[in-house]
Amino acid sequence: MEAKEDVEWEARVGKPAPEFEAKAYVAGEIKTIKLADYRGQWVLLYFYPGDFTFV
Amino acid sequence: MLAISVDSPYSHKIWQDGELSKIIPGGLPFPMLSDPGGEIGWRYMVYDEDAGVDIRGRFLIDPDGILQAMEILAPAVGRNVDEMIRQVQACQRVRGTGEVTPAGWEPGKQTIKPCAEMAGKVCEFWSPEMAFK
Repeated sequence: MEAKEDVEWEARVGKPAPEFEAKAYVAGEIKTIKLADYRGQWVLLYFYPGDFTFV
Repeated sequence: MLAISVDSPYSHKIWQDGELSKIIPGGLPFPMLSDPGGEIGWRYMVYDEDAGVDIRGRFLIDPDGILQAMEILAPAVGRNVDEMIRQVQACQRVRGTGEVTPAGWEPGKQTIKPCAEMAGKVCEFWSPEMAFK
């Protein structure tokens, strides 16, 4: 992946959502998940400030 | 439904096992993604480089991969899950139907099919109180 300072902000409503691939904890296992795996489904992606936060 | 933060998958596991599973039986039932260094958060405009975290952003992506709705909140402010669900329902309703959902729409309320005859006549079928519950 490019250094993030070189990457433009890309999240714009009506435009393709920025693609990504990430390690994930899923039901007891660590897997790799890509946004592209979810074509054909609705995706709700939510960022949160950190594990063990209070809100 | 995908959750994502800058924490490692191992941290997600400890949080899931140690705390979340006590709040929600079985723990969070969806993947918890790891965004080390906030590279993904940066692209979604939620990475705070001073705090080194992804702040509270929520993005609704349709089956074609197009972003349909988003919301970004300050870290101290929690989300409104009902509104999140309403937006999913509204986006699903308008997709492919040619209908639009007026302010305050929720399932069961009237949608609008825009056409030339309606131009300038919105007052005949919509009133401000319809924007509220």
